[in-house]
Amino acid sequence: MTRLSAMRFACVVIVLTPALAQNSGYLPDSNWRAPVDAASRVNPLANKPQLTAGGKKLFLRNCSECHDKDGSGIVRKHAADLQLPVVQDQSDGTLFWKVTNGNPDRGMPSFSRLPEAERWQVILFLRTLKPTNP
Amino acid sequence: MRTAVLFIAMFWFVPFSLAQESPFVVTYNHHMEEPGNLEIEFSSTFDAPRSGQQTYFAPYTELEYGVTARWTAELYLEGQSTWGDSTVFTGWRFENRFRPMKREHWINPVLYLEYESINEADRIQKEIEGGGADVSLSNRGLRGIKDHELETKLILSSDAHDWNLAGNFIVAKNFSQSEGIEFGYSLGASRPLATVVSGTSCRFCRENFSAGVEVYGGLGSTHGFGLGDTAHYAAPVFAWAVSDNATLRFSPGFGLNHESSPMLFRFGYSYEIQGFGTRIARMFGAKR
Repeated sequence: MTRLSAMRFACVVIVLTPALAQNSGYLPDSNWRAPVDAASRVNPLANKPQLTAGGKKLFLRNCSECHDKDGSGIVRKHAADLQLPVVQDQSDGTLFWKVTNGNPDRGMPSFSRLPEAERWQVILFLRTLKPTNP
Repeated sequence: MRTAVLFIAMFWFVPFSLAQESPFVVTYNHHMEEPGNLEIEFSSTFDAPRSGQQTYFAPYTELEYGVTARWTAELYLEGQSTWGDSTVFTGWRFENRFRPMKREHWINPVLYLEYESINEADRIQKEIEGGGADVSLSNRGLRGIKDHELETKLILSSDAHDWNLAGNFIVAKNFSQSEGIEFGYSLGASRPLATVVSGTSCRFCRENFSAGVEVYGGLGSTHGFGLGDTAHYAAPVFAWAVSDNATLRFSPGFGLNHESSPMLFRFGYSYEIQGFGTRIARMFGAKR
């Protein structure tokens, strides 16, 4: 392999690796549903976008181990791709309930140890996640 | 040499996790270790006893592992050093906490089961049960007296308005001695000092601190149940997340009756390794 073709190969690998690692085939657990009253809750921080940066910090510390830094979900962890419409179409209240309760059957821990406002900060940040490979 | 390199590598490559840990030292709440994470904690109990008794220092190491989202296992290795006496290894204990309910509720129960293989020189006083520790005898006499003890706890815990309220009821049976079944309790309330996180990186801002108070003591045994003739303490508790994966805890406990030591100082440093289980599995050839 010439130096040029080796470089081309390396570039292809670098470009494709994030796409292959992304859990775009994620299928949500149909039994993991928020109660109606929880799903209808509105994010009390929705009009405070300046708190999104704190949400990002919390996400990187608590969630990125499984969901990756860009929220795309690590395949070997069976973690949800948080960029997918199937996640982003859920209400703030639903996502807050899921962060609070976790889903032990799928290995998602509860994050109720975080203060309520911090969990809402995480939801603020989740809304900023955009697909890396649209 | 290879083991040492692996050990260093393990700490070097570990990702950070949020060390937003509970400040409690004695009381357990319903928040379990995250699955696959390992927390290593170095703690100590320092006693300032009444006149005529020797001051002691009881260090212990905890290895806490999240087996699943609802099951946490923990191993303790314990020692003790008494001024003017000796330093001894006092034994080990292995505990498991199970959370029977999947979802968060107003009150969340956790079942706790522990086996202890310690000797009578053990002083960590992680919980007070029965009449509490006997600090009047020398280590030489105490280390030869073995205790094989089974301990259970009912942990009830609730998160309300950013406060965590927790209560533990302890039932213990020492199979090596005829002490009957011993009882104890601990109650705790804690809260983070800030409930919103800033976007900047800071170590001394309020979001990294939490504080609270614990009350704990013995409740006697089946030979005599009650609050009398047992030790009781009230202890403010403080925790500081010194880095993204490490927490310092401090708790000065004040003895509430004549059976208690006047002061019990407790301090600890914990370090959390995220994804420890996955890394170990991959080291042994697991694909995922």
